[in-house]
Amino acid sequence: MILKPIKLYWRNHVPNPSKVLIILEELSLPYETSWVELDGLKKQPYTDVNPNGRVPAIEDPNSGITLWESGAIVQYLIDTYDKDNKISYSSFPEKYLTVQWAYFQASGQGPYFGQAAWFNLFHEGAYGESPESAKIRYGNEVKRIAGVLDGVLAKSEWLVGDKCTYADLAFTMWNMQIAFFMGSRTGEHAWDPDAFPHFTRWQNACLARASVKKVVSVLGEQEVKSG
Amino acid sequence: MGIPTDIVLYTAATPNGIKVSILLEELGLEYKIRSIDLGKNEQKEQWFLDINPNGRIPAITDTWTDGTPLRVFESGAILQYLVDRYDKDHKVSYPRDSKETWEVNSWLHWQMGGLGPMQGQANHFNRYAPEKIQYGIDRYTNETRRLYSVLDTQLAKSASGYLVGDRVTIADIASWGWVASHAWAGVSLAEFPHLEKWLHALLERPGFEQGRHVPKPHTAFELAKLSPEEMDKKAEETRRWIQESMKAEAKK
Repeated sequence: MILKPIKLYWRNHVPNPSKVLIILEELSLPYETSWVELDGLKKQPYTDVNPNGRVPAIEDPNSGITLWESGAIVQYLIDTYDKDNKISYSSFPEKYLTVQWAYFQASGQGPYFGQAAWFNLFHEGAYGESPESAKIRYGNEVKRIAGVLDGVLAKSEWLVGDKCTYADLAFTMWNMQIAFFMGSRTGEHAWDPDAFPHFTRWQNACLARASVKKVVSVLGEQEVKSG
Repeated sequence: MGIPTDIVLYTAATPNGIKVSILLEELGLEYKIRSIDLGKNEQKEQWFLDINPNGRIPAITDTWTDGTPLRVFESGAILQYLVDRYDKDHKVSYPRDSKETWEVNSWLHWQMGGLGPMQGQANHFNRYAPEKIQYGIDRYTNETRRLYSVLDTQLAKSASGYLVGDRVTIADIASWGWVASHAWAGVSLAEFPHLEKWLHALLERPGFEQGRHVPKPHTAFELAKLSPEEMDKKAEETRRWIQESMKAEAKK
């Protein structure tokens, strides 16, 4: 069966839409992006697609579904299109362990890395001096999460089983931003990738995958297509 | 008597903890409760880190059909696991190949990635931060209000009164405990009538009523009646504990 292109509502340079793009690439699915302007996110017609007014969202003409929240989109793509389990498992207990790590990414990594980025990079420009205690709070959380992953990855190459899964790849785009949003921190508050050697080895292995390389190469684009 | 299982629920009286007990009650499953004392940092002890390397509640252990043990952490993953394995009659879920399943999953991820973390930050800056940062209070209180308005809009369109389709699902269960704790985060429900109605209607379900009191009585509605000064006093003890454990974690 020839699939029609999946429409991905997209903004560039931000980690969550590109998280979905990596999966589309991994599964060699046909897709095209639809650009959403920043001031169009929180109003119609886009809120008819995603009532939460955020990217990404998808429309899959092959099944007729419209879906939002990056983690839910990834699970749908895996369930529907990864029948050979290229980057997932159908076996026990790996199937549920992969879901578990994907939630840890969506609720533990993404939101907190996002707050660190806000207070380190953007707050000052919008409101003046950024509170140091908030920079410390979220910087420490970035390191705590990297530490949890480092501890697990000291014992295994990938988060679940013996291969790279969608759970590993869910972390990649936010991890890629750490050096950027922690760059202004110094001394004990600085980010030191060598303090998390297993985490860093794993991140580099994710970055070396063809899917991720392709996504990194189009991060500045307003329009992206498969193939 | 419920349906026997080997499930052990490791939990504490928080919005994330009661999601799981509410679902277990809704499904009529029997389970053991192991209360975790957050004030004593029991969640950072090695035996618990072997169950959840992230050192947070809730987590569960269970036995798979082949007799091998299983652990699941992250409340959203636990809800999905329980529904997949134990809700074959779709009491609180939809068949896997239905569109509703994916709509439920969107709201579940929305709660896990948006409502929970952002309302949690509102709690931090309203109640627990070492210094009063007005910007932090405003940023997260306003984001929580925005997220509540997204829920309110969805519920306004719902004929059943539930977030997705004609029945209660893990989408409702995941957000309920957070919305019940709205006052602690400094948000009023007065401007969200559909949300307020949903909050109280769900309370009439025996599963919600029983599940919310695990492992100890749910106090969110009583807390909401306190004056700001009384709330601040309540927060004091937790504030001390949170700041001590933040310092301890930073040293690692």
